[in-house]
Amino acid sequence: MPSGALLVQSIILGLLLGGLYALLAAGLTLYFGIMRVVMIAHSAFLILAAYLAWWTNSRLGVDPLLSMVVTVPLFFGAGVLLQRGLLSRLRPATLTMMSVLITFAIALIIEGLLGYAFSGTQRRIQLGYGTAGFELFGARVAVVKLIAFALAAVSLAGLYVLMKRTQFGWALRATIQHRDAARLVGIDTERTAGFGFGLGLATAAVGGTALSLDTTIYPSLHWHWIGPLMAIIVVGGLGSVPGAAAAALLLGLAQSLLQIPMGATWAQTVFYVALFATLAVRPQGFFGGRLAQRF
Amino acid sequence: MPSASSRYLPLGAGVLLIAAILVFPSLAPNPYVLSSGVIVLNWAVLATSWNFVGGFTGYISLGHGALAGLGGYATGLLITKADLPSFVALVAAALLVAALAVPIGFAALRVRGASFVIVSIALVLILLLVFQSWSSVTGGSRGLVVPRPFPGMLRPEHHRVFFFLYGGLLLLALATWWLLDRSRFGMGLKAIREDEDKAESLGTPTFAYKLTVFVVSAAFTALAGGLYALWFGDLDPVFQFSVLTGSYIVLMALLGGVRNLFGPVLGAIVVGLALEYFKVEFGSTPLHLVTTGLLLGLVVMFMPDGVIPSLAALVQRLRNREQSSIREVTAADLAEQRRREREAANS
Repeated sequence: MPSGALLVQSIILGLLLGGLYALLAAGLTLYFGIMRVVMIAHSAFLILAAYLAWWTNSRLGVDPLLSMVVTVPLFFGAGVLLQRGLLSRLRPATLTMMSVLITFAIALIIEGLLGYAFSGTQRRIQLGYGTAGFELFGARVAVVKLIAFALAAVSLAGLYVLMKRTQFGWALRATIQHRDAARLVGIDTERTAGFGFGLGLATAAVGGTALSLDTTIYPSLHWHWIGPLMAIIVVGGLGSVPGAAAAALLLGLAQSLLQIPMGATWAQTVFYVALFATLAVRPQGFFGGRLAQRF
Repeated sequence: MPSASSRYLPLGAGVLLIAAILVFPSLAPNPYVLSSGVIVLNWAVLATSWNFVGGFTGYISLGHGALAGLGGYATGLLITKADLPSFVALVAAALLVAALAVPIGFAALRVRGASFVIVSIALVLILLLVFQSWSSVTGGSRGLVVPRPFPGMLRPEHHRVFFFLYGGLLLLALATWWLLDRSRFGMGLKAIREDEDKAESLGTPTFAYKLTVFVVSAAFTALAGGLYALWFGDLDPVFQFSVLTGSYIVLMALLGGVRNLFGPVLGAIVVGLALEYFKVEFGSTPLHLVTTGLLLGLVVMFMPDGVIPSLAALVQRLRNREQSSIREVTAADLAEQRRREREAANS
C-alpha cells in the first residue's frame, strides 16, 4: 500500500496533467464538431509550440511564456489557413478519411522539419523557478506544473465564455449543430468554420507552451500525445467539449495513480484500454451527445 | 458492361506481373538488387492486403504496419518459444493475427469512419509500447532474432527463394481480391464504400461484411509480416510497430489507385523503389518524413483516385472517344457534379 503522501501527490499531479489534456482535447473536439475531422496534426503543432517556447528561451533569453504572444496568433492563422486552404477543398463524401490523411501528412512534415531544424536531441527549458515547489498535504507540487495547469484552466474558461457568451460563439455553435440552418439565419458558416479551426489550433499553442515548462521535448514526442488525446475524445464522446474535459481529468488521474504500481510506461496503456472498452461497450462515448452516435 | 479493353487489361497485366516475378531474379545483377526486389514485393503484398479494407470499403487504416509487425513477432515467437517449424509458425501466426483482428475490428467497426482510423493509429502506438516494454517475452528494444528457415543456404540463394515466396503470396492476394471484387460479398463492400446508410437499408449486413474483410486483410498482412521475419531474421519493435510503415502502405495504395486490382502493386513499385533510392542516397535523415508527408498530401489533394484512373482519364481524353451511356462515376462524384451544375445554373 503506497503511503498517503504519495497518493495525494499522484492525485494532484493527475489532476494537473488532466487539465492540460482537457485543453488539448477541447481543440480536437472543436475540429471534430465543425467538420467531422480527426486532426492528427494537433499534437504535432503542440510540440511545435513547445519547441518555439524552448527556442525563445534559449536564444532570446526571455521567459518561455512570452512566446505565446507570437505563437497563439500564428497558430490561429495557421488553423484558418489549414481549414480554408486544404480541408474545405476535399470532397465531402470522403472528407473524414481524407482529412485524416492530410493532417497525418502535416504531422509528418512538422516532425521532419523539427528534426531537421533542431536535430533529434532532447531539449529542456532551464528555468529559474524550474525547481521551485511547495508542500500541500504532505505532497510536493512543482510551481511549473501549477503554472501549466493555470494556463490550461484560464484558456478553457476563456473558450467557454467565448462559446457561450459572444456572438461569434453562438455562430460557431450553430455551425456545429446544423450547418444548413446556420446558413439560413445568415451566418457565414465558411468563415466561422475557419475561425473555429484557428481557435482549436490556438489551444495547441497554449498547451505546447505549458508543456515546454517541465517536459523534455523531442520531435517524435507528438505520437505520445496524439494517442491519449484521441482516446480522450472517444471516451468523452466525439464532439462533446464537456465530455472531453471530464474524460481528460478522469484518465489523467487514472494514469497518474496507475504509475504507482505499474510504472510510467505501462500506465500509458490505460488510455488505450479505455479507448477499446468504450468502443466495444458504448461507441458513442460516455458523455457524448447526439453527434457521436454516427461516428 | 465493361468494355473489352477493361476486361483484357487486367489479364494482360497479370501475365506481365507473373513473367516479371519469374525472370527478375535471374536478371538481377547482384544480391543487393535482388534483396531490394524482395523488399518491394513485401510492400506490394502489404499494399494489396491493405486494399481489401481501404479499396472495397473505403475505410482507411493507418495501422496495417502494426498488423504486419504482429505477424512477424508471432512467427518469430512461435519458432523460438514453441519450437514450431518455420512455415508452420508462419501460417499459425497469420491465423493468430486474424483471430486477434476480430475483437479489434469489433471495437473499430461498430461505428463509422472516424473511430476506425483512431483505433488503427492507437493499435500501432499500444503495440509499440507493449513490445518495447515486455522484454522478457519479446526481447524488448534489443529486438528478436528469428532463426533462418533454411540453415546453410547462401545469401543470394536465400533472397531468390524468398523473392519467389513473396511473389506467390502476392499472386494469392491479388487472386483473392479479384474474386472478391466480382462476388456478391464484394458488391456489398463496395456499397458500404459508396453509401453505408443506403447499403444498410437495402439489407447488406454492413458490420459483418466490414469485420470479415478486415480479418481477411489482417491475415494477408500478417503473412507478409511473417515472411519478412523469416527473411530478415531480426525484428526491432521501433521498425515493426512504426506509424511510418502504415503511412507508406496508404501512400502506395492511394498513389496506385485503390479501385484497381493492380493499383497498390504499381504504387508499391514506385514508392518502394523511391524509398530504397532515398535510403542509399541520403541515409536516414528527418527529411524523408517531410518528403513522405508532402507526397501523401499531394496525392490526397490532387489525385485521391490514384495514377491509374488519372492516366486512364487522360488517355480517354486524348483518344476523344464518345462516352458510353452508362456512367462509371461514384455516387458522391455525381452528387458533387450535379451540385456544381445547379450552382452554375443559379448564378
